[in-house]
Amino acid sequence: MAEISTVSEDFLRQLTAVGEVGILVGVPTFNNRDTIERVVSAIQVGLTKYFHRERCVLINPDGGSTDGTPEIFKNVSVQDFGMLLTASPLRTFHRVTAPYHGIPGKERALRSLFTAADLLRAKACAIFPPDSLSITPEWVDSLIRPVYREGFDLVSPAYQRRKFDGLLVRGLVSPMIGALYGRRLHEPVGSELGLSGRLACQFLQKDIWEQEMTTFGLEIWMATTAIVDDFRLCESFLGPKIQAAKQFGQDVAGTVRQVVGALFHCLDLHENFWKKREGSEALPLFGFQYNVALEPLRFNRRGILDTFRSHVEQLVPILESILTPQTLVEVRNVAQLADREFHYPDELWVRTIYEFAAAHHRAVINRNHLLQALPPLYRGWVSSFILENQKADAARVDQRIEALSREFERLKPYLVDRWDAGRGGER
Amino acid sequence: MPSDPLWYKDAVIYELHVRGFYDADGNGTGEFRGLTLKLDYLADLGVSAIWLLPFYPSPLRDDGYDISDYTNIHPAYGALDDFKMFLEEAHRRGLRVITELVLNHTSDQHPWFQEARSSRNNARRDWYVWSDLIERYKKARIIFTDTELSNWAWDPVSKSHYWHRFFSHQPDLNYDNPAVFEAVWGVMKFWLDLGVDGLRLDAVPYLVEREGTACENLPETHEVLKRLRRRVDEHFSEKMLLAEANQWPKDVRQYFGVGDECHMAFHFPLMPRMFMAIKLEDRKPIVDILRNTPEIPDVCQWGIFLRNHDELTLEMVTDEERDYMYDEFAPEKRAQLNLGIRRRLAPLMEGDRRRIELMNGLLMSMPGSPILYYGDEIGMGDNIYLGDRNGVRTPMQWSGGWNAGFSSADPEQLYSPIISNPVYGYQAINVESQRRYDHSLLSWMKRLIRLRKSTRVFGRGTMEILTPQNHRVLAYLRELGSERILMVCNLSSQAQAAELDLRRWKGSVPIEMFGSNLFPPIGDLPYLLTLGPYQFYWFRLRRL
Amino acid sequence: MKEVVLKSLDKTLGKFYDMLLQFLPHLLAMLIIVAAGWLIAIVLKMIARRLMALARVNKLSEGSGITQILRKADLPAPLDLMTQLVFWIVWIGFILLGVDALDIPELQMQISRLFLYLPQIFVALLVLFVGLLAANFFSRATLLAAVNANLPSARIISGFVRFVIILLTIAMALEQLALAQRTVLITFSIAFGAIMLGLAIAFGIGGRNVAQKALENLFPQSESKKEEQKEKAEEIPPL
Repeated sequence: MAEISTVSEDFLRQLTAVGEVGILVGVPTFNNRDTIERVVSAIQVGLTKYFHRERCVLINPDGGSTDGTPEIFKNVSVQDFGMLLTASPLRTFHRVTAPYHGIPGKERALRSLFTAADLLRAKACAIFPPDSLSITPEWVDSLIRPVYREGFDLVSPAYQRRKFDGLLVRGLVSPMIGALYGRRLHEPVGSELGLSGRLACQFLQKDIWEQEMTTFGLEIWMATTAIVDDFRLCESFLGPKIQAAKQFGQDVAGTVRQVVGALFHCLDLHENFWKKREGSEALPLFGFQYNVALEPLRFNRRGILDTFRSHVEQLVPILESILTPQTLVEVRNVAQLADREFHYPDELWVRTIYEFAAAHHRAVINRNHLLQALPPLYRGWVSSFILENQKADAARVDQRIEALSREFERLKPYLVDRWDAGRGGER
Repeated sequence: MPSDPLWYKDAVIYELHVRGFYDADGNGTGEFRGLTLKLDYLADLGVSAIWLLPFYPSPLRDDGYDISDYTNIHPAYGALDDFKMFLEEAHRRGLRVITELVLNHTSDQHPWFQEARSSRNNARRDWYVWSDLIERYKKARIIFTDTELSNWAWDPVSKSHYWHRFFSHQPDLNYDNPAVFEAVWGVMKFWLDLGVDGLRLDAVPYLVEREGTACENLPETHEVLKRLRRRVDEHFSEKMLLAEANQWPKDVRQYFGVGDECHMAFHFPLMPRMFMAIKLEDRKPIVDILRNTPEIPDVCQWGIFLRNHDELTLEMVTDEERDYMYDEFAPEKRAQLNLGIRRRLAPLMEGDRRRIELMNGLLMSMPGSPILYYGDEIGMGDNIYLGDRNGVRTPMQWSGGWNAGFSSADPEQLYSPIISNPVYGYQAINVESQRRYDHSLLSWMKRLIRLRKSTRVFGRGTMEILTPQNHRVLAYLRELGSERILMVCNLSSQAQAAELDLRRWKGSVPIEMFGSNLFPPIGDLPYLLTLGPYQFYWFRLRRL
Repeated sequence: MKEVVLKSLDKTLGKFYDMLLQFLPHLLAMLIIVAAGWLIAIVLKMIARRLMALARVNKLSEGSGITQILRKADLPAPLDLMTQLVFWIVWIGFILLGVDALDIPELQMQISRLFLYLPQIFVALLVLFVGLLAANFFSRATLLAAVNANLPSARIISGFVRFVIILLTIAMALEQLALAQRTVLITFSIAFGAIMLGLAIAFGIGGRNVAQKALENLFPQSESKKEEQKEKAEEIPPL
């Protein structure tokens, strides 16, 4: 049962008025006045178009915006459904804003959403980020239908990616989750999400909410927890992903630290599960997969490579306590390769990650420090990957990622081996 | 009978068919003598007016709406004297009588049409609408799309086409001919002279045709109605005209004129939305349609109903709403007819007493004069295996005895089989058994009607919709002078709580009307009410 | 002469023998005490561990955040720390008791002085220990922060931080022992300056963006240059 104390009295009052619902859609916000209107109207049109018979509620947990986001949220109204659809909603369309105090954070927002889902006995929930620029009403259907009509518990998004977009997810998080948890989940960090009320209640009961989770950690935690607790997962194709990218500025190091930290944390939590697991399976994919010509990413390839080289040398004393001597030697050799021959082999990359994961588990050094030592190596692999696939098309890149995923699977025993190796001895 | 020119504003109207009410002579069909015998029942029920479906001589190809003689009674229902007797007895009990006036068309068996078609030179030729070409009035839609291909029909006798908006055996009268107007006025005067209190004007939007228009709701049609009304006002007092126009409220509004056209008109779109609201458990459909209902002149009134002799019509809803209604209320194809659902109230509410009560509670407290369909006061069922709309026109169930106490004829001789299934059959549902118990539906309906009639607020008061946050709760305030009645109802199948903003009436005490119990006085805080499944309250707000 | 020598030798030997006879039991007692102390200390350590496990010290300290603090300072878990402490205190106590049992007045005097001095030594050791750990921790943190912030000569900075902290620690330890008090003062001044410098650098790094923005606002860049920057990102978006 949800703890009522985590919900403000006003919020509870609004929920009481809404009563039981079939579908709950959440849009957590914090100062999103520029994008919130578009997102809310897209959701409203989507609900009207695809779920006009269901009871729906749109909830906005707000982290104390000062730019009037909640007011905009409340007042957005689709004036003329006739211009957009032939349908008009049959039922009252509910909108609830729930400001929470304290540090704006996803865990607070999601917790209040899940509590609401529990209290309102929602059958299906969907969560949308407030700053998506490419959202369409169809997304509502894509994320909710598999739950509402097909009985899935978690709908993870699938995007059309630009060629080298999202390499941390595609080259580390996704293949590692696939290899360890046995479910090939493409976007474990995607912020659009569909989930069943049952799963929301299950999440609420976990004692994760008092802990400090990072921004991207919750998505990973939710996905992996759903796998571990044997819920039904699927993916739904949403099209190209374009975000108002203010939060993903240039802080690669910070993002790597948060995302990978969350993943490693989950590995600790689910140790008993993934160690016994073998093989992996793809998830059912909903939605028509279309392709749009996307502007290619442009970036400073030289810069990334040079950064890798210099950083590895500077961090040797720290890497020494994380990596095995052999791996460290190999990494240092890679760093010394000439531009043309530069190549960070998949096998070495996987071994690097696994050794980091094991070291993180054993806390050989402060975990935060450990995670900070990873971004330079990530840059090395990225440089190599880009160099290798410079002329490849998107499909070829996908094949490469597939091969990398198999490498992660193949080396899984190595991770299990390292996990508890020399416990205490390296202290 | 007390005199009151605005009697229809407070009326509770009972709709019935002479054929199906009571058969006194044992031939299997009800007649006026039988109906007269049952007037005490209607007076006891508490209704104030009776609306009779057509009872005129007719080939009966459209349930009597195809009239072959306007000023007589169909022999199966008795003679004109029987009608006079019935009228007198009804008036003696304070019951007013409303009859049908089909003024758009006649039967093709009517002498007028027979004369008109006899030759192109006949004096009555121009009483109908004739044409050699069928290209005229192309923009008019065809109403009975299932049976008719054109609004023109070929007359082999006079070798010409005649105009008809409904069935081809119902030629439309030509209101551009002053003689027709006078003839129709003659018919009206005949019945009003006899003492009939009100006339239901059938199919009024289609009286006049004009090229290039849809031939509906034309100004010329309104002009005809206004002239009829003037005649009525010149010759009579306390008479009422009720327009049947299945249109959106803003179009129906025109039939009230500025109080110089019809006194009453049916509110068609409200009815399906009451059903929809209770199924969706959401007040939105009702609130939406009430907000889109225009104001009407003070002397006018809406006619509101839950069910009638036709199907539950779904013309005045959107496609999604219609699909939803079909899926929820008529999942079996057989229950659907034209654009509607041919079922009675009780089966639509799945026999749930709480829902039947709530629907009646809504009906009785909405702005307008409620119309009850015979049998619904005891929760009668229907028979969707009978053709057309006959499933909702089965004999009234008076008792658990022979032929449900309706007739002493052989059961095979009845004009329609009696409902006999274990749930809604006459052994289970009949007047006799329900009269015995205080808590039967019939007894409850009597109390409801009595309450409705205890005040003029329901018929004449203003309406203000309140908006508690809980959308499963519908609340509105009816107000007339210093009298205020608050209606709060729970449209949901589960218990609900609602907080009403009643600060404007701070200090008033709500008195629950059914039991006259006092509720806590209204203060500064939102007024909290809890309601059980499908429960409703009527509160009189009394300032102490 | 010879006799005198022999006699005195004999006397001395006899004396030594006597002394030895007198001393040996004391020595034996001491050894026994030390050995027994070691055993008792081990037993106590085990008991303490069991007791603390029963009292769920690890859980408690994790809940209260002590473990996290210790981990951040790279110290062992509180349970290990405390059992080790129990062992060493008990055993050192026994060793001192054993020395006392030797019954040598000078030694006894020294020991009693030592006992008086013990807390200071203990605190000094602790300061040294914590300081070394802190030096390790902070130098690593500095290194990582500097590297990830792309600062040049990150290792020099981190080395400097380590040096300053160790210096400070030693000074504080000496201060505890009440030795070279003036050195402490000087060292402290130096260290303080170093910390301020460190802070200045840290703020410099942290405020870089702010400063950059302010400067950009002051001196607007040409449009084309901005465009170029927009087009070519430094890195690939990781998500």
